[in-house]
Amino acid sequence: MILNEEQRILQQSMADFFEAEAPIAALRALRDAPSHLNFDAGLWQQMVELGLPALTVPEAYGGVELGWMGLGAICQEAGRRLVASPLIASAVVAQTVVMHCASEDQCAELLPAMVTGELTASLAVDEGVHFRGLATQCQVVEGRLNGTKRLVMEGAQVSRLLLVARREEASLGVVVLDPNAPGVTVTPIKLMDGRGYADIQLREVTVSDADWLAGDTVEHGLEHALAIGSVALAAEMMGGARELLERTVAYLCEREQFGVKIGSFQALQHRCAQLYCDLELAQSAVDAALTALDHGADNIVALASAAKAMANDCFQSMSSQAVQLHGGMGVTDEMDIGLFLKRSRVCNQLLGDADWHRRRFAEAHGF
Amino acid sequence: MSDAFDKKAFRAEIAAWLEANCPESQRQPIRQAEQIWGGRRRRFPSADAQAWFEAARDRGFTAPEWPQEHGGAGLSPEQGKILRQEMTRLGCRPPLYEQGIWMLGPALLVYGNESQKQQHLRAICRGEIRWAQGYSEPGAGSDLASLRTKAEDKGDHFLVNGTKIWTTKADEADWIFCLVRTDETAPKQQGISFLLIDMETEGVSTTPIPLISGETEFCQTFFDNVRVPKENLVGELNQGWSVAKELLKHERKMMSNTDDMIEKLDFDLVESAKTHFGIDSDGALQSAELRARLAQHLMRDRAVKQLGERVFWQTKAGQLDPRLPLLLKHLGTSEMQVGDELALEVLGKHGLSLTETGDQSDNVKVTKRWAFDKALTIAGGTSEIQLNIIAKRALGLPSGENAS
Repeated sequence: MILNEEQRILQQSMADFFEAEAPIAALRALRDAPSHLNFDAGLWQQMVELGLPALTVPEAYGGVELGWMGLGAICQEAGRRLVASPLIASAVVAQTVVMHCASEDQCAELLPAMVTGELTASLAVDEGVHFRGLATQCQVVEGRLNGTKRLVMEGAQVSRLLLVARREEASLGVVVLDPNAPGVTVTPIKLMDGRGYADIQLREVTVSDADWLAGDTVEHGLEHALAIGSVALAAEMMGGARELLERTVAYLCEREQFGVKIGSFQALQHRCAQLYCDLELAQSAVDAALTALDHGADNIVALASAAKAMANDCFQSMSSQAVQLHGGMGVTDEMDIGLFLKRSRVCNQLLGDADWHRRRFAEAHGF
Repeated sequence: MSDAFDKKAFRAEIAAWLEANCPESQRQPIRQAEQIWGGRRRRFPSADAQAWFEAARDRGFTAPEWPQEHGGAGLSPEQGKILRQEMTRLGCRPPLYEQGIWMLGPALLVYGNESQKQQHLRAICRGEIRWAQGYSEPGAGSDLASLRTKAEDKGDHFLVNGTKIWTTKADEADWIFCLVRTDETAPKQQGISFLLIDMETEGVSTTPIPLISGETEFCQTFFDNVRVPKENLVGELNQGWSVAKELLKHERKMMSNTDDMIEKLDFDLVESAKTHFGIDSDGALQSAELRARLAQHLMRDRAVKQLGERVFWQTKAGQLDPRLPLLLKHLGTSEMQVGDELALEVLGKHGLSLTETGDQSDNVKVTKRWAFDKALTIAGGTSEIQLNIIAKRALGLPSGENAS
């Protein structure tokens, strides 16, 4: 549950890199740009050159396995600065889907290209108003795919979609889809967190046998990838929550009313102290899930759901309280606090809200 | 904290020793009446319990991480952890319950002089002396440093007068460690000393206090012209506050992880909820609302333990974030109370009696625990004091009027 020397060095160098190349001003620029750009391709290329997509991939496919605690630390640093990139969508979720759902030949084709940045991909799984895991209406009948996918992370800018669909009426599968293929309509969406997503319409899209990921354990692989994605996203959210607490405490130590620093008021101190308790509690759940992955666990559903549910609750209350404790300044766009607030609510809906994850956790514990 | 020992071999050796020395009957969940407490009035519920206690005592396993010369086993924290893991795995009962092990001993190891260590530590791990804690007073609770129990220097002894309250199980204890005022003119934290008092000394008396749980876990202890030898002073005169704080650290640590200490009741929150609320065809609790709160509680309860794990591994790697241990007591005790409330809710009408009804269930004990655990967020520093400490020491918020 602690970082090793190598991981700590990488965490620090990524913190320095994000600080220099992807400060919060970069997110504001992306948010305010008239185009539907999902992320800055130049920034992503730099992240690729620093080796981030290689971190979740075995050496055989060009990766360098750093360990999940290390990856979590990097997601956290990205979260502190609201870095917009396909790190979680492509390097974590999509790559994990490939590793666990694809045949060896497909892995050999896709993974090295993702590690070098030649390819980016995003998992198209979510369909309704709320995330429902692998439940899907998308189906391939006689080689034709129809359906709708929603809230695909960075979905308007990735080069491949990994689309979850039913194969005829039977098993669940993953189709590797070129977003430019005939019948695929990609609608770019920019949400309040300033980041890019896509809704995907599929009308009579031709799917051949070779387009399906052909591993032996597709459904389990997808569950595992969703769990890992939830944990990585939770780690990013912990970074956001931690940054907010630090900024809020600094503000309370500086702002004066009634002739004293407002941080000397017990009512405010207790709120901050409780927020800090809940932050470290959620962090512990996230670290426990990452550590289980490092120990080779292949079923982390309960740990991942605990991590994501707690991260959702923590980041949500932290961001609401941060706005309140910043007083009038908290509701201005000039302060960054509001950006974290909005990111928190989008993250809540990505890969399952707290209600969903509490139900998954209960299921995993037999109630 | 060296890694120089062979973990696998050590674990195997421990497991073999436990297999050989812990009788089968001592590997069942323990009932309160079966707990072995030390002291002059020590008694054993069975021959097996006595055999297990004596084997553990002779091996130093009643206080495994204390030095061997003082009756411990001299284990490193990591070895101690392996021992606890193996005891949990095999279901071994704690061989000895003793406040001297949890609180006084660790403070004596830091602040006691050689003869105090010699006199007391071994007697504690051997279960010969049972200790009580004399901290709070009727007028000094959260503001502990305003305590007034007085120890006057009478040349060859101190003369102690005053009263201590919430002295846990003091009616069964042999000795009591006390904070006493030795300088009434100094600022309040600077005039306090730490004294060890034999409760058989003339002038010491104890009265149990009936609690809302119907039990008498806590007492009030009175000191009426009690003569205490000078050599019973721990640390320097008027420097008792440092000893007190060291000891409080251990008390809070103990209170944040009571797994070993609390009786395992024949009650499972999840199973009981399923019985009383029913499940649908997928095995999910019929009440979605209760299901969500139960899940939330179990997640947080586990996360408290995971936070403890982080503290352990960080400490071992020499990378401890000193803010984290400050959170454990408040988080652990408040989550326990959430669990107690859920238990009462789940039991419905079966959870409303505090007196034995003659049935075979542990329902009354669940209800008693619910009532007793209200003390957890008060004893050992209230949750409000914990939040004050976290705000100042972990977050660096400026001092105001409030205490910590």
